[in-house]
Amino acid sequence: MKLNEARPVYVVGVGMHPYQFVSDTLYIHMGLTAVRAALADAGIAFPEVESAYVGCTGIGMAAGRIMFNHLGSTGLACTQVENASASGSSAFQMAVHEVALGRRDVVLAVGVDKYGDQVRAVGKEAVNRLSDTAAIPLVKYALMAEYLSKEKGLTAEDLARVASKNHTNASKNRFAQFRKPRTVDQVLAATVVAGTTTSLMCCPRGEGAAAAILCSENAIRRLGITADPIRVTASALQSERPQQGREIPSVTLAQRVTEMAYAEAGITAADLDCVELHDAFAIEEILYTETFGLAPRGEGQHFLRDGGSAIGGQCCVNSSGGLIGQGHPLGPTGLGQVHEIVNQLRGRNGDRQQPDAKIGMAHMIGLGSIAIAHILQKEV
Amino acid sequence: MELEKPDLYRLTPDGRGLILRAGRCGACGDLSFPLTPYGCPLCGAEPAQVREEEMDGQARLLTFLTLHTRLTPALPVPLVVGEAEMANGAIEEIMLDGDESRYSDGMIVRAVPVEISKGDAQVIACRFVPAEG
Repeated sequence: MKLNEARPVYVVGVGMHPYQFVSDTLYIHMGLTAVRAALADAGIAFPEVESAYVGCTGIGMAAGRIMFNHLGSTGLACTQVENASASGSSAFQMAVHEVALGRRDVVLAVGVDKYGDQVRAVGKEAVNRLSDTAAIPLVKYALMAEYLSKEKGLTAEDLARVASKNHTNASKNRFAQFRKPRTVDQVLAATVVAGTTTSLMCCPRGEGAAAAILCSENAIRRLGITADPIRVTASALQSERPQQGREIPSVTLAQRVTEMAYAEAGITAADLDCVELHDAFAIEEILYTETFGLAPRGEGQHFLRDGGSAIGGQCCVNSSGGLIGQGHPLGPTGLGQVHEIVNQLRGRNGDRQQPDAKIGMAHMIGLGSIAIAHILQKEV
Repeated sequence: MELEKPDLYRLTPDGRGLILRAGRCGACGDLSFPLTPYGCPLCGAEPAQVREEEMDGQARLLTFLTLHTRLTPALPVPLVVGEAEMANGAIEEIMLDGDESRYSDGMIVRAVPVEISKGDAQVIACRFVPAEG
């Protein structure tokens, strides 16, 4: 069942704990901070929450139940969700579906993570690859940047422009891991990692938490929720197919998922006012703005250069700072995107506000890879 | 001396090149690399339907770059890596021998045995070099 065939689902509260570098902060503290902020935003108490989905990758088994012990043992349904970088997005999707299908009226999605042991299932596949870099996404994207530099004139400055924009957006975001504005020259002068990709063009790893509370219309009425509800109008997830031609499978996949999401929401790319996308590496933002249809194919760098993705542009991209600036603690990342878009659509994003934002999209990639997209809309 | 990844390649009879170990699916006919114990990755046929087939170690180099930062403890830098179109048409990441001045896009490269240190041992690894010269 698609969301447009189910009952409406609304985000009524969002909250975050700042993303940060590895520290002694306990995950429970970060998770509770985000959940309590989301509850306060919605104006409801924890006992009203009937079910919770907890996205995390590095904490261990049963992280949610331990955390919720400290909010009162209400006996709520509790499910842990792991989908690599998209764990938080997937927790959100499951919460959306539970409300949409009428199984629950008030559901929490929370992402919380610490820098874990980084064990990946691909290491247990027992299948070697010719290159020891084959399972390192950074290398794949750096090779794509190298190819595009020759194929369509993409420059190191273009990659640096993405990073500069996102670091500068992050500098105005109190939840962001990086809080310094960066110029194009500063990005270019950072440590070279691979080819023309520098360290400031890559997302940091760290820890943090983000949460969202989803409600049905019934619950909004019953609980007297007055916070501006933001409707979720599409939720799509797919995994990649074998590579055809030069395009990275995750990029092809991103197009497939966003097309599904647009169809479900009944919109086109031209309707989007703000997008939070998976910019683990700067080249991704240029590629995805093309595959999402925000810019014509092969012209992503022009869309960026012309300010189309800036706050105040045609469709602001990664106003939070994205993964590059806000950070990428894995479990929370997708929910941090939802936090940003909800604030944009409510018109309360301060000096990062996209004027008159009504429709936004959150997109994540999970290692392997999977892609997931959600479209959120302000009802007028 | 042992091969680093014997599940992926074998030495040619003269010991100067490498033959890649691919799998031919009896159900769909696809030639996949590497050969795995799990069956055909294209159509999902059972392992019994996939038989090993030698694949030429020549490939067309599509793109390459130098890795400057050590991304894992086991990866020495600088290291030249690339993407290549293999004999079965699939695109694979490969490790290139030497520095990037030896290479150009579109160049034909071939798999050769190169002695490397792995822990305390010396092993024969697969690296790609220009097919000519």
